[in-house]
Amino acid sequence: MTRLIRWLVLTGVGIAQTPDWASAYIGPGAGFAVGGSFLVMFAAVFSAVAMFLSWPIRYLWRVVFRKRSPKKPRFRRVVVLGLDGLDYGLTVRFLEEGKLPNLAMLQHRGCFRPLGSTLPPISPVAWSTFQTGTNPGKHNIFDFIVPDEHTYQPKLSSVEVRPPRRAIRLGPFRFPLGRPEVRMLRKSQPFWAVLSDYGIFNCVLRVPITFPAEKLHGVQLSAMCVPDIRGSQGTFSLFTTRRRNDGTPTGGEVQIVQRQGNTVRGELVGPDHPLRKDRGPLKVSFTVTIRGNQWADLRIGRATYELRRGEYTSWVPVCFRTFPRVQVHGVCRFLLLATEPEFELYATPINIDPENPALPIGYPAVYPIYLANKQGSYATLGLAEDTWGLNEHVLEDHHFYQQCLDTDREREEMFFDALEKVPRGLCVCVFDGSDRLQHMFWRYHDPQHPARPVEIPSDHVTAIEDLYRRMDALVGRTMARCEGTDTLLMVLSDHGFTTFRRGVDLNRWLEENGYLVVDDTRRGEEYLAGVDWSRTQAFALGLTGIFINRQNKFAHGIVADGVDTEKLRTEIAEKLALLTDPMNGQRVFRHIYQAPKVYRGGYVDQAPDLILGYESGYRVSWDAAVGRTTTAVFHHNTKAWSGDHCVDPSVVPGILFCNQPIHAENPRLLDIAPTILNVFGVPVPDYMDGRTLDVGSS
Amino acid sequence: MTSTLTTIVITLNAVANAFGQCLAPIGWLPEGLSLTLVAVVTGIATLKMFKYTSNQRAIARVRREIRANLLAIKLFKENLPVTLAAQRKLLVAALRLLGLAVVPMAVMTVPMVFLLAQLAQWYQWAPIPVGDDTVITLRLAGEIRPSRPVVKLLPHDAIEDLSGPVSIASLQQVCWNVRAHQPGYHSLQFEAEGERYEKQIAIGDGVMRVSPQRPSRDWYEALLYPWEKPFDAQSRVQAISIEYPERDSWIAGTDSWIAYWFIVSLVAGFAFRGVFGVHL
Repeated sequence: MTRLIRWLVLTGVGIAQTPDWASAYIGPGAGFAVGGSFLVMFAAVFSAVAMFLSWPIRYLWRVVFRKRSPKKPRFRRVVVLGLDGLDYGLTVRFLEEGKLPNLAMLQHRGCFRPLGSTLPPISPVAWSTFQTGTNPGKHNIFDFIVPDEHTYQPKLSSVEVRPPRRAIRLGPFRFPLGRPEVRMLRKSQPFWAVLSDYGIFNCVLRVPITFPAEKLHGVQLSAMCVPDIRGSQGTFSLFTTRRRNDGTPTGGEVQIVQRQGNTVRGELVGPDHPLRKDRGPLKVSFTVTIRGNQWADLRIGRATYELRRGEYTSWVPVCFRTFPRVQVHGVCRFLLLATEPEFELYATPINIDPENPALPIGYPAVYPIYLANKQGSYATLGLAEDTWGLNEHVLEDHHFYQQCLDTDREREEMFFDALEKVPRGLCVCVFDGSDRLQHMFWRYHDPQHPARPVEIPSDHVTAIEDLYRRMDALVGRTMARCEGTDTLLMVLSDHGFTTFRRGVDLNRWLEENGYLVVDDTRRGEEYLAGVDWSRTQAFALGLTGIFINRQNKFAHGIVADGVDTEKLRTEIAEKLALLTDPMNGQRVFRHIYQAPKVYRGGYVDQAPDLILGYESGYRVSWDAAVGRTTTAVFHHNTKAWSGDHCVDPSVVPGILFCNQPIHAENPRLLDIAPTILNVFGVPVPDYMDGRTLDVGSS
Repeated sequence: MTSTLTTIVITLNAVANAFGQCLAPIGWLPEGLSLTLVAVVTGIATLKMFKYTSNQRAIARVRREIRANLLAIKLFKENLPVTLAAQRKLLVAALRLLGLAVVPMAVMTVPMVFLLAQLAQWYQWAPIPVGDDTVITLRLAGEIRPSRPVVKLLPHDAIEDLSGPVSIASLQQVCWNVRAHQPGYHSLQFEAEGERYEKQIAIGDGVMRVSPQRPSRDWYEALLYPWEKPFDAQSRVQAISIEYPERDSWIAGTDSWIAYWFIVSLVAGFAFRGVFGVHL
C-alpha cells in the first residue's frame, strides 16, 4: 500500500515536471495549497509595509494628541498578579514553614504585608474597589446579587442584559432589531481607563466585574459575571439513566436518558429560541456509543470525541442553530462518570465560545478570538470552576480539582502571553481558582468542620497547602518572566479565607423578632416568595446584608425614610450584635455596619442597610442567601462549600507582596489603584478614595 | 520502467474514459454552463480528497496560529518587536502550510491530470466544420521508402481526399489534405503494408469530444490523448493525428478553459469548505 502511494506520488510529481499543458497542473488542490499560503504571505508582507508606513503618522498622532503625564513613570511596566482569596494568616504560616520559597524571595526583595479588604470582603465588591480605587458607595457593587426594587427578585449586581428593544413580528416569529443590550452596573472608572487617557497600554485579564468589557487602550478579557450560553451564572448538565431522589440540583439540571444497547442519546440545552419564545430553549443532540466500562464515543455535530471514564474532554464546540446564519456558539467539556450499571455523563456549563463570542466578553472584540487561536478554547464563564457540581455530589473532589487545575493552566498561558506582548504598561491578571478551591476543600483543612468526612481522601489531605504551593510556583514563574525588565510586580489577593461551619438564617431571625412575616406554607420557596410585604420591615437577600423595606425604595415598602429607617436600622443592629450561637455560646457577629456610616458616594442608597461582619465560622445560611425562610436560625453547613470569606473584613485580610519595598501603614485594596497611577506618574483623580502608597523609595 | 508506466497510464485511461462517458451531457449543454458545472463538481471532489489526504489537524493548528499572529499584529501594533515577531511567525506558518499541502497536492495530481486530459477533449479543440479542410498526419516506424507509397487513406463518405499522400521521409510522416463533408464521429481507415489502422474524426459544429491524435505506445502521449487506444509498440504505424481548430470563446480554448476551470473550482472549493468541514 505504501509502495503504491509512493508510486502515485512519484508519478504525479513526474507528470507535474513535464513541459506541456498537462504539466501546468493547476488543479484546485494546488490552488488550495499555494493560494492559502500566498494569501498568508501577502498578509504578512502587507501588514509589515502598512505598519512601517503608518508608524510615523501614529507616532506623531500620539505625540500631539496624547495627554502627557506630569511625572516620568517610575517603572516601564507594572504587573499585578491577583490570587483570589489567598489568606494572610495561612500565607504567613506556610512562609514560616518554608513552603513558599518564591513568595519568600519576593518578601525578601520587596515586601509582604496584610492587605485590608473591603466591606464586605467578597470578590465582586473587592475587585471593584481594586479597579476603581473607590469605596462601594461610589462603585455601586455591594454583593453578587441585589433585590429588584419592584419585584424583590434577586438580580445580578454588576450587569444587566436586556433583549433588543425593538423587534419585527412575523406570525410566530419575532425578529429582533439589534443586539441585546449588556449594561455594566459598576460605576466609577477603573484606573486602567485613566492610564489609557495617558496613552499607557493595558492588558487586563479576568479581573472580576469587567463584564461587559469596556473600552480601553489595550486589551481586556472579562471575568466574574460573564454568563454561560443560557444566560445563567453556570448551569451544569448531568445525563444519567439513574433516577435521582434528591430533586433538582442547584446550579445544574439532570436529564434522564435511555440506554439502547450501547447507545445513549441526549440533548444539550442552550439559550432560548431567539425568534420564537414558544419553542423553548434551543437544543443540540448528541449520541454516546459506549465501548466497554472505560470508553465511549461522543458524537456531536459532525465531530466525534473520545470519552474516557474520569477524564474531561477538551473544549467541545457546540452550535445552536435557528435560521441559517443565525447561530449561537458555545463550548463545554464532557466527563464520563460511569457506564455500568448506570450511565452518567457530566457536561460543564456551556461557556460562550471565545472564538465566536455571543456577548462582549473582551475588548477589543477580537481579543478573546486572538486568545482562542493562540492557545485553543478556554473557559469564559465568570465562575469557571463548577462549585455546584461538587456541592450537589455530581462531581467528586478530584473532578472539581482537575477543573481548577485546567482553568489555572489556561489562565497562566494567557497571562504569560500578555507578559511577552506587553513589555511597557500595565498587565493585570486574576487567578480565581484559588478562591474556589479554598471554598470547596476547606473541610479537609478544618478539623472541626461539619462537612469533614471521617476518612479524608489521601489526595486532598493537604489540598489547601498544595494550592498555596502551586500559587507560589506560579509567582516564581512570573518573577522569572519579569526579571531584568524594569517591572514593578505586585502579588495580591482581594480577601483572605476562613471556615464556614454554621449558617445563619437571617430571615428566620427577622421573623422571630417580628420584622418579617412569611406564609408558613411557602417557606421553602426561593426568592422571598412567601413574604408578606405589607407586614415586613426588613429582609435578607444575598450574602452580605439586611435591607429595610423602605417606602421610597421598594414597591411594597412600609418603613418611612429618615428617622423611622434610621431607628429600625439601629434597633436591628443592636439586637443582632447580641446574637449568640446556642450550640457553643459564641458570638456570631464581630461588627454590624450601617451603610450610611461606612459608605460614602452617590450609590449608598443602593447598599443593604446593614452589612454584617460575621465572626469566623459563620456566614449567612444557604437558604437565607436565596431568600428562603426556614424554621431555625442556625444550620450546620454540610456542603462541600466549606470555606468562606463573607465575614467581617478584619477576619480575612488579603495579602500584598511586592518586588519593591512599600512604606505604608495598613495598606488596603482601596490604595492599589492610586498607587499604580502614581507609579506611572499619572495624577490620581479626586474621586478615588484610596491613598497613594510609597513604593520603592526608602 | 517506461513500459510499466505506459501500461499504468493506459489502464488508468480506460478508467478515465469510462468516467468520461459521464461527461456526455457537455455535448448538449451550453459550453459555459457545462464547464462551470464540471468545475464546481471538481472543486468539491477535490475538497473531499484534500480532506482525506492531508493532515487536517496540523493544517487547522497552523491556520489558528496564522489567525492569532494576524490578530496580534492588530492588537499589539504599538509594540514593534511584537509585530515583527508576529510577521516572522506568519511567514513561517505560510511555509508550513505549503509543506502540509505537498502530500495531498501530489496525490491529487494523478486523478487531476487524467481529468484534465478528459476535459481537454471537450474544451481545448473544436470539431472540423463541414466544408473545412484539415491535415491528417500519419507517423510511421522505420524508414519510408520513396519508391512506392506504403500508406493509403481509404475512401470515406465523410471526407474528401484533396491531396496526398505526401511523404516526409525525414520525419517519417505521411500527410493528407482532406475536406470534411459529413457531420458526426467517423472512423477513418488507413492501410499500410497490408495492415489496416483506424483513427476517429469529429466533424460538425458546437461542442464535441475531439481526439486529435491516436497516440503511440508512449506514456506521455497516451496521457495527453486518452480517448483512442495507442498503437502497439511493434506496429508499423506509430501515430495518426488530425489538425483540429482550437476553440475560440472567452471560457474555452487552449489557454482560457483551464484558467476558467481552475478559478471556478477553486472558488467552489473555498465556498464549500465550511459545509464539508475541511481546513485548507
